Amino acid sequence: MSAPTAPTTSGGDPTATGTSKPVQRGAVRLRGTDPALLPGRLLLRAGRIRLLVRRRSILVAVILLVLLAGAMVLSLSLGTPYVAPVDVLHSLRNLGAPDGTGTPYDLVVNRLRLPRVVLAVAVGAAFGIAGTLIQSVARNPLASPDVIGITQGAGLVATVALTTGASAAILAPSALAGGLLAAAAVFVLGARHGLAAQRFVLAGVAVAIALRAVTEVVMLSADPIDGQRAQIWLVGTLAGKGWTEARWIALTLVVLLPALLWAGWALHSSALDDDTARGLGLRPTARRVGLAGVGVMVAAMVTAQVGAVDFVALVAPQVARRLVRAERPPLLCAALVGALLVVLADLVGRRLFAPTQLPAGVLTAAIGGPYLLFLLVRGRRRNL
Amino acid sequence: MHEVVTPPGAAVAPSRRSGLSRLTVVVGALVLLGLLLLASLALGSKPLAPAQVWHALVAPDGGEASTIVHDLRVPRTLLGLVVGAALAVAGVLLQALTRNPLAEPRILGVSAGASLGVVTAIAAFGVTTLTGYVWFGILGAMLAGVLVFGIASRTREGASPVTLALIGAALDASFGAVTIGLLTVDSYTFEEYRFWVVGGLTGRGAAVPAQVAPFILVGLLLAAMVARGLDALALGDDVARGLGNRVGLIRIGGGAAAVLLTGAGVAAAGPIAFVGLAVPHLARALVGADQRWTLAVSVLLGPALLLGADIVGRLITPGEVPAGIITALLGAPLLAFLVRRARVVTA
Repeated sequence: MSAPTAPTTSGGDPTATGTSKPVQRGAVRLRGTDPALLPGRLLLRAGRIRLLVRRRSILVAVILLVLLAGAMVLSLSLGTPYVAPVDVLHSLRNLGAPDGTGTPYDLVVNRLRLPRVVLAVAVGAAFGIAGTLIQSVARNPLASPDVIGITQGAGLVATVALTTGASAAILAPSALAGGLLAAAAVFVLGARHGLAAQRFVLAGVAVAIALRAVTEVVMLSADPIDGQRAQIWLVGTLAGKGWTEARWIALTLVVLLPALLWAGWALHSSALDDDTARGLGLRPTARRVGLAGVGVMVAAMVTAQVGAVDFVALVAPQVARRLVRAERPPLLCAALVGALLVVLADLVGRRLFAPTQLPAGVLTAAIGGPYLLFLLVRGRRRNL
Repeated sequence: MHEVVTPPGAAVAPSRRSGLSRLTVVVGALVLLGLLLLASLALGSKPLAPAQVWHALVAPDGGEASTIVHDLRVPRTLLGLVVGAALAVAGVLLQALTRNPLAEPRILGVSAGASLGVVTAIAAFGVTTLTGYVWFGILGAMLAGVLVFGIASRTREGASPVTLALIGAALDASFGAVTIGLLTVDSYTFEEYRFWVVGGLTGRGAAVPAQVAPFILVGLLLAAMVARGLDALALGDDVARGLGNRVGLIRIGGGAAAVLLTGAGVAAAGPIAFVGLAVPHLARALVGADQRWTLAVSVLLGPALLLGADIVGRLITPGEVPAGIITALLGAPLLAFLVRRARVVTA
């Protein structure tokens, strides 16, 4: 780094005054390599916008989409009554048609099952995105919202709301606030040495444990009926939910869409180490906090809507990363893997002990816990 | 990679710390525990004078005070005594065995294993007596303990605080998922479980302390037997072996004791959090790093903390706040403090 003659603040201090830096910010260009010539990459050009995509990501994304569509149709057809996949597709074609004009299955498929399946897709995709953002920022596959206490924060506030007879209307907003507060606590506790340090994850785990302990006691000291309701909410279930919740999640994602698009690009540069990033004129710390902030908001919002469907945010980015064979979790594929996971978890939960429904979160936790252990044993935490 | 976590005050010469000799600390802890035992018998929705308590104990006359003391407060106090001792000593053992300041039954998922065992007992076998629960609780704790140690020894970083905490979180979640799955399917089990899991000392029945006492005594004896070896373990396995210790035996003995104590404690009073975290740290701050003294002080301070939490819970609201919530609220800031201070392996 050449020392500039003008007294400028050091680039690493986010509290520095907002004077424009002499360095020009913008796209990172690698001189002398035409990105289109890199093996396994596609360069998409649309006017001045150029997008570099790995061929493998596209292939994986397409396969995941097909699998997801299959899982959705399966979830729409299984249950009581069973609706043959062909009839499911017929009914879906009649979506939005006036009542009584379609097939006899329209009511079951479009009114009863479709909202829940769409919600499953929204929940899974959102958790996949949230997990990707937070894991990439912390550069640690273990830093997912359900491990570092964000979900538990939302859970504690929601449990208090559910067991004190607060109105249903304030459940989601208060859970959202709880998730954000927990995230703030983790930042304060663990971010002294940057978000990439192990301490950040440890602080998160500590916050999660403490919050869960308090939640459990609150829940079990309550009235039995409220307690059981809170218990089911805490695990995360899609039963009895549908368009309303899906709409909120979709709205969150749409509102944050510009941020997400920026995130997709920023993820690339946040994989650089801080000195390199600074040398290229990026502001790594501010960017990290921004990315993590978006992830936290998405996670807290989804938790507020359907409860804590554990471990999707942890597992989806890692599975996607392995499928794409990338160094970092890919945003789009992680969203698709998350959606597939939740649709399947909800389906299995519905049918395994029918007519008793298991919350989807029970299944994701039963899969996710062992997967987390597997990640720990493999212990590959450097190369995210 | 292993790191030796130096407990607070270990660097200081062990004999004279802050003007208090270790014996003074032990005596002080004994006095404190005695006072709290008395307070636990005297205080509650109907406060009694010490004289009334004494009278009820030595010459029960079947009157109101006598009934309250005998039927309600004595069982509750005894339960606090045995469970507090069990959880605190389990914490000391786990912290020493894992060389990790954050090790604690709840954090390592051992409590979750015990909970799962109890729920399985209720749901699958229709067990409704504590004598039945205890065995299942211990089995579950054992399963979780074996998993924690097994997985921790296989990870590249050995037992770094982060790794252990995460293994615990993973186990907690997996066991919790199965537990909740069982509870969702079966509302009768939820009722039973709810009654048991609140993590408190109320309504456990007068027979419970006596039922779990044998398990806890065996656990405490085992802990006393391995105490010297634990000091050697802190120096690393090779040094410990060089000093003539049988490392494998110490680990197995200590692990078995921790599992017995956690299983029995959790089966008796539910998964009470943070007693096993707070007390060992407090004890070490008072008497230094010698494990035998730490254990001796923890056996006294564990029940003191739990009984104190229980008494506070009785007094702050008209309805009772379970001891578990008080310990959780006390433990959370302590955990935060330990995290800030812990030396973490930088990946």
